[in-house]
Amino acid sequence: MNEMNSGGFEIRDYLRLDLMPHFMCPGCGHGIALRALLWAVHELGIEKDNLAIVSGIGCSGRVGAYIDANTYHVTHGRPLAFATGLKLARPDLEVIVITGDGDCLAIGGNHLIHACRRNLDITCLMLNNEVYGMTGGQVSPTTAETRLTTTTPSGNSEPAFDACKLAEATGAGLVGREVTMQTPALRNLIKKGLEYKGFSFLEVMSDCTEIYGRKNDLGESAEMVLAQKSDMRPEAYSTITEQPFRPNRLVTGILASNDRPEYGATYRDQAAALRGDDNGEA
Amino acid sequence: MSIDTINTEPATSPADARTRNVLIVGVGGQGVIMISKVLALLCQTQGLQVKQSEVHGMAKRGGVVFSHVRFGPEVWSPTIPMGEADVLIAMEWAEGVRWLPFLRPDTGVFIADTQQVIPPFACRNREFFATPAYATETTAEIIGQVSDGFALDAGRMAEELGNARAANTILLGTLSASLDFPLQEWLSVLSQFVPKGTEEINRQAFLLGREWVEKTREEPDGAVALAPAPAQPEARPKIDVRLEITREWCKSCDICVKLCPERCLELDEQQIVRLKDPDACTGCRICEWLCPDFAIAVHHESRDAATESGKTA
Repeated sequence: MNEMNSGGFEIRDYLRLDLMPHFMCPGCGHGIALRALLWAVHELGIEKDNLAIVSGIGCSGRVGAYIDANTYHVTHGRPLAFATGLKLARPDLEVIVITGDGDCLAIGGNHLIHACRRNLDITCLMLNNEVYGMTGGQVSPTTAETRLTTTTPSGNSEPAFDACKLAEATGAGLVGREVTMQTPALRNLIKKGLEYKGFSFLEVMSDCTEIYGRKNDLGESAEMVLAQKSDMRPEAYSTITEQPFRPNRLVTGILASNDRPEYGATYRDQAAALRGDDNGEA
Repeated sequence: MSIDTINTEPATSPADARTRNVLIVGVGGQGVIMISKVLALLCQTQGLQVKQSEVHGMAKRGGVVFSHVRFGPEVWSPTIPMGEADVLIAMEWAEGVRWLPFLRPDTGVFIADTQQVIPPFACRNREFFATPAYATETTAEIIGQVSDGFALDAGRMAEELGNARAANTILLGTLSASLDFPLQEWLSVLSQFVPKGTEEINRQAFLLGREWVEKTREEPDGAVALAPAPAQPEARPKIDVRLEITREWCKSCDICVKLCPERCLELDEQQIVRLKDPDACTGCRICEWLCPDFAIAVHHESRDAATESGKTA
C-alpha cells in the first residue's frame, strides 16, 4: 500500500553492499540494467540460493559481481559455455548470463550461435553499449557506422551487427531487445526471459557516456539515455510500416519466439534411456 | 417540443424560410461526421438546401471534432453563429459543456452523451491518484440551464445492445425526435451510411434513442435520472514521499537532475544530488529507476508513518 508500484523491491537486499559503490563510470547504463534484472528476479520470487549469474570480461562482466547470489566471473567470451555446463549439471538453478557486445558477439560469438542452436534454459542478457569500454574504447561488432572509437579515428567503416537477428536465425527460443531508459519495460522483458523455458537472448541497449559518448559528442548521460527513446521504436509500431523513419532505428520488445524443445530435458531423457531407467523412455 | 415543425414540402411563405442549425460535437473516433452526413443527406432528399462544415483536423484519437449542419429552403453561411444552434448534440460530456454558448438560449435542444473521454492534457498532475482536470459540472446542473436537455449514457446503451460503436446512432435517434422528418426516411438514409452487416444493429440503436426521448418526455425528471452522474473522484490515500539519497554512492552523472519531470533535484556544491524542492516531488520514481548507482531510493509513506518517524528523528 505504501510502497506503490515498486512491489516492496529494495535493491539493497540483492547487492553486495561491501563492494558498493560499483566501479562503473558515472552515467553508465549497466547500473540501470542491473536494477531491472534484480527487480525482475524479485518479482518472480527467485531465491538467491537458486540464482546463478555467469558473466564474462568487460564492463558487463563486472555487473554480476555486485549481485548477492551465486556469481561466476569467467574467461573472456565464455560465459555461455560455462553456463551451459552449469545448467546441465544443476538444472534446478536459474542461470542468467550477463555479457557484453564484444564478449558475446566477437570473442564469444561461436558460443552464442551454439547456445542459441541448443536452446538450453538460460537467460542471456547482452548489455550493448556499442564499444569496448573497459579496455579504452575500441571498436566493437555493434559499433554503428561512422562512429569514432580509439581504433577507428576517422569513423567506423564496418557495418554493425544486429545481434537479435543472429540469435533468431540460429534458433534462440526467445529474442528481445529493450533500452535502459524504459526501466519497467526492461524489467518486464527480463521477467519474460526468465520465465521462458529455453534459451532467451535479450539485448539491452546501454549507454557508455565516458568513452563512446564523449568521443562521438553524444551529450552527457542524461542526453544519451533520453536519445534511446528516439532511436528505438517499440515492436508494436514496427508492424505499421516496414520502412522505419530513420534507417538505423532499432525495434524494441519481443522480436522472436520459437516453440522449440528445451535441450536440457532432451539431454536428460536420453541419458536416462542409456542408463536404462524405467522413466526415461527416449 | 420547442422546435417548430419543419415542413417536408419546400417552404412557400417567408416565415417558414428560417434556416435550422444543428451542431454536432465530440472527439475523434466517435462518429460525429457520420451523424452530420446522415442528417445532411436526409435534408437533401427532403428537398432542402444543406450546408455542412466540420473541423476534424485534430481528431486523431481524442481531439476535438465538430460539425455544423445548416438546412432550410435557402442557406447562405456554412457556419452557425454563437447562440443560434437549434440542436446541440454532444457525443462527449465535456465537449457538450464547452459548446453550450452556441445553443439558442431560449429554444435550443441539448442532447449529450454522458460518456467521458479524458484527454491527456487533463492528466498532467503527476501526483499519485491525482484527479484529472475535467469538467466538474454535473449533469443535473447543465440540464437545468438549458431550455430542453437530454443526457443519456449512449455508450453503455450501445454496449448493452451489442456494439459500443453504435453509440452515435443512438444519439442520432434522439436527434430524430427533435426534428420532424418521417421515420422511414431516417432509416433509409441511415442504412446507406452504416458499414455492411451492421444495418440491423444500427436500426435498433436508432429506434432505442428515439424511444428514449419519448419515454423521457413523459417523465420530465427522467432526462436526468436516467443518466448517471459524472464519476466522482474517490477518496484516495494521501502519500508522503521521502527520498533517501546515499551520498557516498552518487557519481554526479546528472541523469536524475535532468530527467526529473518536476525538476526538483539539483547537484549541491560537492556535485552530489540533493532534493531542491520537496513539495514539488510527486514520488514518480523516475530518478530511482534511472540512477545507475542506486543512490536514490523513493519511499512512499502514509501520513501517519511519516509523523511517527518525524517524532523519533
